[in-house]
Amino acid sequence: MAHPPRHSAMLSLSNSGSSANSDKQQPPQQIQHIANTGLRVPSNRKTIYDRHLNRSRNAEISRSSFAFLFGEMVTYAQRRVTGIQDLEKRLNEQGYPMGLRLLDLLYYRTITSSTSSSLASSSTSTAPPNRPLRILPLLHLIHGPLWRLLFNRPADALEHSVSPDTPNEYMITDNDPLVNAYVSVPKEMHMLNCAAFVAGIIEGVCDGCGFEAKVTAHNQPTELWPGRTIFLVRFGESVMEREKVLERAGIK
Amino acid sequence: MSATKASRIGEELWKTRIDKVNAELVTLTYGTIVAQLCQDYDSNYQEVNKQLDKMGYNIGMRLIEDFLAKSGVGRCSNFRETADMIAKVGFKIFLNISPTVTNWTSDNNQFSLVFDENPLADFVELPDDGRAQDELWFSNILCGVLRGALEMVQMQVDAHFVSDVLRGDDATEMRVSLVRYIEDEMPPEEE
Amino acid sequence: MVVYSFYIFDRHAECIYNRRWVPRPSSMIGKSSRPTSETSTTTNTLPPVLGHSARTTDDDAKLIFGTVFSLRNMVRKLGGEDDSFVTYRTSQYKLHYYETPTNIKFVMLTDLKSPSMRVALQQIYINLYVEYVVKNPLSPVEHPGGVGVNNELFEESLEQFVTRVLS
Repeated sequence: MAHPPRHSAMLSLSNSGSSANSDKQQPPQQIQHIANTGLRVPSNRKTIYDRHLNRSRNAEISRSSFAFLFGEMVTYAQRRVTGIQDLEKRLNEQGYPMGLRLLDLLYYRTITSSTSSSLASSSTSTAPPNRPLRILPLLHLIHGPLWRLLFNRPADALEHSVSPDTPNEYMITDNDPLVNAYVSVPKEMHMLNCAAFVAGIIEGVCDGCGFEAKVTAHNQPTELWPGRTIFLVRFGESVMEREKVLERAGIK
Repeated sequence: MSATKASRIGEELWKTRIDKVNAELVTLTYGTIVAQLCQDYDSNYQEVNKQLDKMGYNIGMRLIEDFLAKSGVGRCSNFRETADMIAKVGFKIFLNISPTVTNWTSDNNQFSLVFDENPLADFVELPDDGRAQDELWFSNILCGVLRGALEMVQMQVDAHFVSDVLRGDDATEMRVSLVRYIEDEMPPEEE
Repeated sequence: MVVYSFYIFDRHAECIYNRRWVPRPSSMIGKSSRPTSETSTTTNTLPPVLGHSARTTDDDAKLIFGTVFSLRNMVRKLGGEDDSFVTYRTSQYKLHYYETPTNIKFVMLTDLKSPSMRVALQQIYINLYVEYVVKNPLSPVEHPGGVGVNNELFEESLEQFVTRVLS
């Protein structure tokens, strides 16, 4: 679980087409893959390789279950930290690997549901793996498909820093983050934003796409949206330089 | 209350009273938690099991309040009814599954929950390190949840997994035993 | 009607929350919503609304717990395990009672004109306590000394509920 061969599993499944009951005609390399591991499998073969990856695509679970799990994640993180920054860092670190995994899932979903995907439309290439090459398509991927996969709706805003000193800064806004729905932050911790977890997810997605970035969550309440949170995405210098080169080359 | 009636209540609540989120968000969040524990405890799976149980216990103590608030059900009249309530209402409204209640002992104090579906383990394969399949109970948090939730309604139980498809078993089964009913607590010093 | 005070007791028989609303002129209602009890959990010594002794809030809470606990047990002995008392009244006030299957006890004291508050107490449990205390990851699982119940979301929504919905 800590080091799962997730990616290979997803690739081999996507090779086998979208039919959920293709048990009989699985490509040989996939069977090989299972045989190569020392893992025992149930005789009825209830493994992840036998289930379609889109099985859970539209599945739902109680929002409370998520709240309780996330709450326990925060509690656990709190046990091992000294201050608010430390806690946010830790939540960020927990989100990061989830971002990497979600990226795999997003790719897989856009490959298999080729028509009318907003991810596909954000790229000029018609080849299936629509890996974003430029910053904007990446941010659109986060603002749209990633948010929808996680929270069933797109994020509320996507902005570029107006300051000439920070062209590498972008802001994604969520007016009412699901993760903070039940969090009442005590006054002495008013800087804390548990959406640092989501910031970590975003960071994982960026990094997984080859965009080195630091992402942080900040409270920006308005009268209407007391829980409004800004995710500040700061891309690294290498990303900005590549961006210039790609721009000159006319790649979108 | 019969098992079918409990099923009906569960279905009805799920349809009408439950706010929902994408199941994959929960699946991946749980996976992240287990992965973090495996890392923090250096793949000492016994310790990971223990921590998961503890987290579940904390969750159970909170979750029972949400369960009661949403369902409005009162006290169960016996442990068999409790089992149906857990399987057909509890699991239904929190995870949208209904494990089967089976293997009762003759004294009606022990039963098994058999899971056909387990959203917590949807994307999971255990690490191929020669130990995880023998030592890790991936979904152990659920045992803690039952323990915590039932303690709050005055039942001390023991809950543990006896098999898991992730370990190569043919079924995922949890054993639940009633240890005792808990008496009301009195105020510390009576004047 | 007037709500005098409100208490929550946990399964360990501890008062984990209490709040009192000192009756005030009707012209003030709906304006600045926070009444006199800014610090509302345990061990403060506001002048008691009931009676005239110098009892502390703490003592009041203990007396109230003792009363409802005995009443509840007697009622169960007489009417069976599933029976529970809903309210009692004295010549000065009405006490309303709601207990969850997890043994959390919600108590509200009102004036005599008040209708039954059982549903209101249930609403406080379902919509305020469960949502803002139980589900708040920054509140501990249990609340020794009232820790975690006195959070902003819970207190503000309780305040709103009592001043806008009940009054």
